Amino acid sequence: MNHAVIAETTFNTSLTSIGRPPRGPIHKVLVSFSAAYFTGAFVTDLAYWHVPDVLWERFSIWLITAGLIMAGLAAIAFVFDVASDRLIDEPAWPRAVGYAIAVLLSLANAFVHSRDGYTAVVPLGLTLSALVVIVLLLTAWVGMALANRHRVGG
Amino acid sequence: MMHGLTNARPRKLARGLVVLSVAATSLALVGCDDHGGDPTKQIGANPVLPSLQQYLVPPIRIAKAVGWGDETPTVPQGLQVQALATGLEHPRSLYVLPNGDVLVIESNGPKAPIFRPKDIITGWVQWFAGAKAKDANRITLIRNGNGDGVPELRTVFLDHLNSPFGVALVGHDLYVANTDAIVRYPYQDGQTSITAPGTKLTDLPGGPIDHHWTKALLASPDGSKLYVGVGSNSNIGENGIGAEYERAAIWEVDRASGAHRIFASGMRNPTGLQWEPETGKLWAIANERDEIGPDLVPDYLTSVQDGGFYGWPYSYYGQHLDPRIVPQRPDLVATAIAPDYALSSHVAPLGVAMYTGTELPANYRGGAFVSEHGSWNRTPLNGYKVVFVPFSGGKPSGPAQDVVTGFLDANNHARGRPVGLAMDRSGALLIADDVGNTVWRVSSARPDSPPKPGS
Repeated sequence: MNHAVIAETTFNTSLTSIGRPPRGPIHKVLVSFSAAYFTGAFVTDLAYWHVPDVLWERFSIWLITAGLIMAGLAAIAFVFDVASDRLIDEPAWPRAVGYAIAVLLSLANAFVHSRDGYTAVVPLGLTLSALVVIVLLLTAWVGMALANRHRVGG
Repeated sequence: MMHGLTNARPRKLARGLVVLSVAATSLALVGCDDHGGDPTKQIGANPVLPSLQQYLVPPIRIAKAVGWGDETPTVPQGLQVQALATGLEHPRSLYVLPNGDVLVIESNGPKAPIFRPKDIITGWVQWFAGAKAKDANRITLIRNGNGDGVPELRTVFLDHLNSPFGVALVGHDLYVANTDAIVRYPYQDGQTSITAPGTKLTDLPGGPIDHHWTKALLASPDGSKLYVGVGSNSNIGENGIGAEYERAAIWEVDRASGAHRIFASGMRNPTGLQWEPETGKLWAIANERDEIGPDLVPDYLTSVQDGGFYGWPYSYYGQHLDPRIVPQRPDLVATAIAPDYALSSHVAPLGVAMYTGTELPANYRGGAFVSEHGSWNRTPLNGYKVVFVPFSGGKPSGPAQDVVTGFLDANNHARGRPVGLAMDRSGALLIADDVGNTVWRVSSARPDSPPKPGS
């Protein structure tokens, strides 16, 4: 992630100034997928909390794992997007930081969900899943708000 | 204006991400800096039980399997050790027939299903530790008629079994406990190979999960009953309580009808059963639960009470509750029996032999040998040896003594790992080694004894 972000700024400034026509970014789609997976895990965690059937816990850990794989692919795609001069939503950094927090929390959550038995979900796993959803929502909201301001202000 | 913004951005971003990654790393390290205490505090009737902890990253500390080369295990002065058979395929347990022939059960568990990403990681860990050997599904017979420890005969005794572990002979009926059934075969004295088809006595809880697959077997002295150690289907109920039906228990099977009842329950994985010779009571070794600390929960050796409940999964060592199992069962926990003798945590006892012979020196007469396969989730490693628990008046009477060691080399790599134990006809102790693929024979040292093979 580190590299991806640093690369973004360098390439973005240097390449946009050359003036190639911008195309849609690939990483955005992958980010949406991972956000959906993480949110799904929160839902299956709630189900497990309600009825502690191991099936819900298994859904959760696979959803979190899938979300993390998508996040890894999104990071690669982000580098590619920047390198190939695709349009990145501006400003990028609040989204990047928010998303990075959500992914790191989800990584911790994957370990918690790999515990055996009830404490794989309740209370810490469920809490982390909820936090991830909150962080993702905040990130989206802040991102949109700032994008609007940019548009209005620019 | 845009350019001014972008110049400030990378530094801010980099700083934020560094802070985040440091936070995440330190969070992960909390789980790693976690060493187990002195195992001797957890040996005996009153083990010290620390408070329970839950990990973010559970510790994995495995001994890489390297084999013996020219080395042999280490025994105290007065004893000697030699290889009775080498080049076996994952020998797990041993049984000595009345004529002295030794049966070596070469076996491994069925393929574990993948329910969670964790199961994939566990598979890699087991492969690294040499536990993923092919399942030979066979019993090899070794004959050493003159008792010198050099076999005259080695044949395939029984083949095409299904993850066999326990064996018991009653008269001319030989019972093999496969992972999913007890099968009876006709056996004549001196027979070196059985080709007759087996007859199923009863089904046992097997697949599709079959987490703890070994089925220990012991016949009652009068031959009317068979006792079967049936391990749990999970570490701590993570496969659902429905998967634990009639598991984590010792079964009593009627030999005539095949009918069974639960003799004792709440034992997570009872891997070895023996009759205590003085009192005639049933004793068992059991493997306790993982992932709540390097010193929880101690594995144990215990007498088994008819109808007794030993805690799993709801509690351990009596009424110590395990929060990982919901809903709890206070009614059961109230009745939970604390085991008699702790062996310390994560040693993984997989073989027990009450010593009734006279071959070994006097200090080993009256007591139980226990093989400790060794830990994989504790730092530092624990087990990887065969210990002797002295008994007096039908009960353990002192601390466990190391008898056979050297399974770990100086780099903490595993040359071998001890599993099944048996006493041969002469009274020597036999040890199955499923990483060294050897059967070791421990006897009294004699000045005129033959030199160790390979040295």
